[in-house]
Order: sequence, then C-alpha cells, then structure tokens
Amino acid sequence: MSGLLENTSTRAIGADIGRVDGPAKVTGTATYAFEHQLNAPAYLHPIQATVVRGRVREFDTRDAEAVPGVLTVLTHDNAARLADIGDAELAVLQSDEVAHRGQVIGAVLAETPEAARQAVRLVRVHYEERSHDVRFSAARTDLYTPGEAEDDEQGDLAGAMASAPVTVDHTYTTPMEHNNPMEPHSTIAVWEDAGLTLYESTQGVHSVRSTMAELFGLDPERVRVIAPHVGGGFGSKGPLHPPVVLAALAARLLPGRPVKLALTRQQMFDLVGYRSPTIQRVRLAAEPDGRLTGIGIDVTAQTARFKEFLEQAGKPTEVMYAAPNRRITHRLAALDVAPPTWMRAPGECPGMFGPEVAMDELAVACGVDPVELRVRNEPGTEPASGRPFSSRNLVACLREGARRFGWQDRDPEPRRRMEDGWLVGTGVAASTYPTGQMPGSVAAVRFEDGHYHVRIGAADIGTGAWTVLTQIAADALGVPVTAVRLRIGDSSLPSASLAGGSTGTVSWGSTIVAAAQAFRERHGTAPADGAEARAGLPDNPNRERYAMHAFGAQFAEVRVHADTGEVRVPRLLGVFAAGRIVNPRTARSQFIGGMTMGLSMALHEDSVVDPRFGCVVNHDLAEYHIAANADVVDLQAHWIDEADPYVNPLGAKGIGEIGIVGTAAAIVNAAYHATGVRVRELPMTLEHFLA
Amino acid sequence: MDFLSPSTWEEALAAKSAHPDAVPIMGGTDVMVELNFGRRRPPALLDLTRIPQLRDHGPDDGYLRLGAGVPYTTIIERLRDRSPALAQAARAVASPQIRNRGSVGGNLGGASPAGDAHPPLLAVDALVELASVRGVRRVAAREFYHGPRRTARRDDELISAVLLPEPAGPQSFSKIGTRNAMVIAVASFSLALDAQARTVGTGIGSAGPTPLRAIEAEKFLASEFDWDGAASPSPATVTRFGELVASAARPIDDVRGSAHYRRHALSVMARRAVSWAVTDYRKEIARCA
Repeated sequence: MSGLLENTSTRAIGADIGRVDGPAKVTGTATYAFEHQLNAPAYLHPIQATVVRGRVREFDTRDAEAVPGVLTVLTHDNAARLADIGDAELAVLQSDEVAHRGQVIGAVLAETPEAARQAVRLVRVHYEERSHDVRFSAARTDLYTPGEAEDDEQGDLAGAMASAPVTVDHTYTTPMEHNNPMEPHSTIAVWEDAGLTLYESTQGVHSVRSTMAELFGLDPERVRVIAPHVGGGFGSKGPLHPPVVLAALAARLLPGRPVKLALTRQQMFDLVGYRSPTIQRVRLAAEPDGRLTGIGIDVTAQTARFKEFLEQAGKPTEVMYAAPNRRITHRLAALDVAPPTWMRAPGECPGMFGPEVAMDELAVACGVDPVELRVRNEPGTEPASGRPFSSRNLVACLREGARRFGWQDRDPEPRRRMEDGWLVGTGVAASTYPTGQMPGSVAAVRFEDGHYHVRIGAADIGTGAWTVLTQIAADALGVPVTAVRLRIGDSSLPSASLAGGSTGTVSWGSTIVAAAQAFRERHGTAPADGAEARAGLPDNPNRERYAMHAFGAQFAEVRVHADTGEVRVPRLLGVFAAGRIVNPRTARSQFIGGMTMGLSMALHEDSVVDPRFGCVVNHDLAEYHIAANADVVDLQAHWIDEADPYVNPLGAKGIGEIGIVGTAAAIVNAAYHATGVRVRELPMTLEHFLA
Repeated sequence: MDFLSPSTWEEALAAKSAHPDAVPIMGGTDVMVELNFGRRRPPALLDLTRIPQLRDHGPDDGYLRLGAGVPYTTIIERLRDRSPALAQAARAVASPQIRNRGSVGGNLGGASPAGDAHPPLLAVDALVELASVRGVRRVAAREFYHGPRRTARRDDELISAVLLPEPAGPQSFSKIGTRNAMVIAVASFSLALDAQARTVGTGIGSAGPTPLRAIEAEKFLASEFDWDGAASPSPATVTRFGELVASAARPIDDVRGSAHYRRHALSVMARRAVSWAVTDYRKEIARCA
C-alpha cells in the first residue's frame, strides 16, 4: 500500500532536513499562545482551594475588588452554566464543592497580571471543611477494579509460580511525576458576537474546539482555536484541563476583550494533571534456562475520587514475552486528589519499569545474560492476543545495541569494577510502544502560485511535525520540499486528531498521503492554479489482523560512588525498531529526549505529597528535579532499518514516546551490576546505596 | 510596596535607617523568588544596584575586601587565588545565569542554611562588614549566624562587604547534591588550614538550622596535623576527623535527604578534604623549600 511513496523520485522522507520552524524559534519570532498581540487584554489569575475537601461557604472579595485595576472576581456565583459533558474536571465553577487542594474555585480578572495576582491574595474564602484522604497504598481496603481494565488471565500463573524451578516475586514502585513542559499551559480567550477564539497551548486544536463548543453550548463553527507553536506538552496538553475553561468563562464576562491566562509553574502542579504513582507486584516463573512459564503484573494506581483515570501499567506485559501462564490486573485507589493524566508513554513507561527490572533479577537468578534472556523469551505472536506482529525487531535491537555498546565482554558478577572510588556497572532493558493511529483527520491540498498548499489542523508540540509533514507531503505529491507550503495549528484548517499516543505523524501523514493521491487523481501532474482536493484518513484493515508495536533496547552505564552513593550515568545507548524514520534529525531528538526524560525519571523526578495538606510540596523546578545538562553525558540513539508494509502507507511507527520506555529499568539494572544493590523504587537516590 | 532606589551609599544607609523593614535587593536571585512565590511581602524593596562600590574588590589591611554585590562569576574568574574555598563554592552555585547576578552579600542577607557561600566564610574566619548611619562594624562570620535565617545584622544595617584573610594554607569546599548542577546542597563542607597560626577552620552547610562549625574537629585536626612535614595522617585520625565533623551537624530529614545521609556525607567530605589538604600542603612545602 506504500506504492506512491516507493515510486517517488524526490525522497524527502528519510532526508536529514532541519526544522522548517527552526529559524523562527531561535530568533524568537515563533508565536506561542500567550504571545499573540491582541488589543487591550485583561489578565486572569485563578483562586485555588486551600482545603483538600469540603465546600466554599462564602467569598469575601471586598479587599480584592478595591485593588486598582480589578475588573471582576469570578466565582461559581457569577460563572456561566456549562453543559454537563461527563467530565467533572471540566465542570469549572459549577458548584461550591472542593474536591482537591489547589482546585480552581474562582479567579480575578484585572487590567494587569500584577493586579489580578495581588487581588487573589486578598480574597478571603470561608470553607466548610471535610476530612480527606490522599494516602496512596496497595494495602488500602477500598481498591477497586476499573471498568476499562478487567483482570486478564491466561492459564494459571499461581500454579506456574508454585511449580517453577526459578521464580521472581517482587514489588516495584514509581512515584507521582509531573509533566512540566517548558511552556506553561496558557490561553488567550476572546468572546465576541461571532463566537469564541482561543489561542491555546495544546496538543490538538480540534479537540479543544469540540470540547469547548460542547461545554459552552456553541456551534463548533463558532469556536476557533489557534496554536501554531507549542512549547512541549508530554501529554498534559492532550486532554483539556480547567484553566482553558476558566479563561473562556472569564472572557464571557468581558465580551470583546482578550483575556490572558498563563499558569505559574506552581499552579501546574495542581491543575494540569500528572502521572499516577504505581505499585507493581511482578511475578516471573521460569525454567532454569530462563524460559518463562509464567508472567504476571498486579498494578495499583491512584485516581481522583471525582474523575477516573487509569494508568494502564499492565499493558506492556500483554506484548513483551512468551509465557503460557499470564495474569494482568489493575486496581485503583480513589483519593481526594487532582485527576492524573497522560504523561509521556502513559502505561508503557511505568509499566516497563517493574517487569524489566524483574527480568534482570531473573537473569541473575538463572545465570543467563540479560540480553540472551530476552531473546529466549521472544514470542512468535503477540502473547495476549495471539495476533501476528506486523513487524517485531526487539531481538535485532538487543543485538545491535549489545554490539554498539560493547556488551560482549561484560562480567556478569556485580560489584567487580571500581574506578577512582566509583563502582561501575552496565545494564539493559527493553522498550516497547504501540503503533496506533487516530481516526478523524482530513487534509486539503491546493495548487496556487506555483506551490502546493497543504492544510491540516495538526499540532507541533516541539516534535517536528511542521518539518516531517512537509516532507511527507513533498513525497506524496512527488515534488521538492520547497514546493510545499504547510499550514497546521488552527482549527479553521481541516480536522486533525490529537498529538498523542505517538500517533501524530502517522495519522496526519497518512491523511496527507491520501489527500495528495486524491489531488493527483483529480488534477494530474500539471494542475491548474486553484486546483484543490481533500481526503480523510483511510481505514487500514491490517489494524485488525496484526499487532502493531515499536520496540527498542536500552543500554546504560552507571557509576555509583562507593562512599557517598552519588549516582552518575556516563552512557546511555538506545536502539529502536520503529519502522521508517521520516527525518533522522527530528527522530533522534525525539529518541534522546525520551531517554533523557527516562534518565530524569530514574534519578530525580518525584512529586512529594504532604498527606496532611494534600498538595505537592516540592512544586517548583528548584525542588522538583529534572535532569540538568550536566547529568546527561554520552547519549546515543540509533535505529535499525525496519520495513513494515502493514502499519500505514508511510511504513512509519510513532517515536515520540518509546524513548522514555525502559530507560529507568536499564539504569537501575546497571546500578545493581555496579553495586550489588537492587533498587526497586524510583527515583533511585544516593541513600539507596548506603548500607 | 515601596521601591527605594538610592544612588549613593550614604543615601542607601539613610533609606535603610528610615525603612528598617525594607529588603535590600541586588541580583534578585533569592529575593525575587521569594516575592514570586508569595513567601514574603516586604513593605519596601531597597535597590542597591546603583551603588558602584558594592561591586568593588581589593586589598584591605591584610584582607581581601569583597563588596557585598560582587557576583559569583567575578569571584570564580578573578579572585580564585585569593579566596580558593569561596571560589570553589561560587562555582557550585546554581547556573551561569544565577552566578552572573548572585553575590555573597545576598547569600549572607538571606542566611539560608543551604547557602553555598557560608561554609567557606566560616572556615577561613572571614569578617562581615555591616554599615548603618550609626557607623561601620565588622562581625566575624563565626558570630554572624544566629538562627534559621536570623543573623547578627541589625534592622538598620546593610551588609557592605566581606573580608577574607590572606590564604595561609590549603582550602577546599565540596558539596553533595542529588543532581550534577542547579542543585540545593544536601550537605556541604569547607576546610581551611592556617599554616602560620597552625589552626584549622571548618564550615558545614545544609545540615543544621544555621551554617555550622565543627569546633571539636578543628581542634583535633590542628593537634594531629603534621605542620612541619605534612606526613599523611593515620587512617584512624582521618576517620576520627570525619566523625567529629558529622557529629557537629544538626541535620533534619527533608525531601533532599535524610539526617542520617547528611551526617554520612559530611564524614566523607571531611575525610576527602583532609587528604586534599595534605597534598596541597606538601606542594606548598616543596615550593618553599
């Protein structure tokens, strides 16, 4: 089905092309949501609940309203009524109820951001406070099984564990983590007779449009969302969160005037989601040679009491290794907390920590090399579904990674290498991420002024979408890249699915291919000025027949100081099998970005909740550590040539998330090899290595 | 909030006298963060950026006089030989951008127990110069820190300078954090030897309500150190020194580290500092011979 792309002579796909939006970004002319120049904006600052649970009895806003420049204090008393769309998180200012600390209970609208902020400090709120519970634990008696994740059982894992010569049975934990894109969540909302215009930092202008239209009871045609450039999202800008709703509610009180809202870094720890902590009991049953007879993962995660979200950390265990007996369960603890959300590789990222460390423990127990152990457990078909893989090159990644990393000379014994006071070790872990495709995209191609204008309402959140979609359009039309004029990031363009689940490039790219084909079919190779065609994303019947995933292998070298326990990661090397790579430069950036975030997860990231107050105490970037430049030394990403004729017309798999999957396990496994100390909780800190 | 912006030192002192609750600001690397986070809301800010002499440095009667507003970058680039421990500490502060703006005066004004500049000031027995309309006085850094964020500075006083004695022996600073840069210390330690007086100075950071000295450890090492030949101290001596430094700390558990880890880290840093000092001292002897 990739005929058009095979026959083209231009070959923009695969070329190492610099970002088409790069010059604008490095010269500061790329416009982010908050930066759009609009006339006479007003500024919004949220009022946040200072209790964890209860209801607001009364606002005393006299002092706040006396601040010069204050226009309005917005509360549930004067906010517009919204439609109930079944998402309690977005029912902003619809009642006096407080469901978590930091929840938006109001806002001040003022002539300046300073006046708005000062006035918020002067609002006195009287609450009726209720007792709360934010303690996350697998020992809670009120855990429940979420509807979207019934227990998945094949064979008899307990029996396999009882009879296996070698078993691993340990509990692994990952902490609450916050997405923290560089650009804070920000909105400019303008309410006019014609409708609502939103300049929004989002992973999908069309989903913002449809959700906001529904909430505010507007015809979608009357809502326009603009987002040409977005400074990172990592999932938290995928689903909508309260701030955009708040901005629109405020704008409605001030028709004709732009209302600007940019969250502070601290507000981002309360209002725009996070990765749930997970507790994972992992069980492996094996023969003495390491062949698995059983594999199981029992996941406990948290959700908000008022809105369910499940971190599906058990999912990769459906995909990774062959074993006749398998058990995957999820349990949720409903707490008085803000709702968790997607964070880069939701499910897979935490869900490959426990199992991949457990595999290392099994390798040690069996005396089998950890690369070889994974090769021995390679399945013929997708274990949980029995479907064939459209392509699966995990073994090739492991072998290629081992070769590049210099794995073959490794002494498997831990705590054997000491260099200048540092214990040195190496470790490996596997990566996987599903190759999805989101329905709903439409692309238009128009020939005008000697250029092909390609329009689709896609989002570039720093991934390189501007660039790779230009390349795909060029090849699909059989023209040079310079003949293509791409437009994305505006809901007035044809509909596009979300930049999420690593589906953006393949969904939008396949849609552009379809539109280009329609254009050529209708207008030939010498189109008249003004010739146009559009097409939607075609169905791919192969999606029913094949299991589609990208795979990878990550290798880490770790140094742990023998006296202080300080941890350094001098080397990280990943090899990925992700179909056709559209642009090696932006792809490498995605892989190493993911791996850096995985390093950060391994060593640093940890949102610490104070159970008394129900809030994250280290809610700024001085205390919530993210890996700094000095923590990243030799970081390499490679990929193998993988031709997959089934996934999509491009033969490409999504690559935005797989880089973070498995990294933390590789680092923890390397630390074990260095020290002989097995760490089963993240982040791995200095204190783990003190006797 | 008032914003006072004197253009001379005399005006600054008069302003501080008239507004004793005004918070001085220069680089803003601490004060602006506190304002931004709403941790404090002073009635006035006293802008000292227009006072040139606060950025001056030079010799002063056997001391290096360092204006309170000299940025860390200047200490690293120009004053390394005259303030080795402080220059090492300056290198460990935050990021290049912060080091271009932040200053020792600001560290002293904020008096966070985690401030990187404090341990070297304690170890080398620096003086803090405090000025007001009433006059100028100099307080030993060792008498300066009174409690959590409380110091010997009186409300009407401004910090004008620190005075660092001429280095008279090896000095060092080390810091342990949970990442490689941009990190608040889990614990830090500074050691300074004075070969003429045959005394030892120490400073402990991030492991107590204030920056601390390890006085017992100082006395112990001064008596055990081979001031003539710099023979390597026995492992037992080094270990004991580490223990005495660790026992002088008064750490707590927090998100950055446990009290237990902090004591352990201090003993490691103290032992390392002794071995560096011995090596440096030997080089010095060889150079003089």
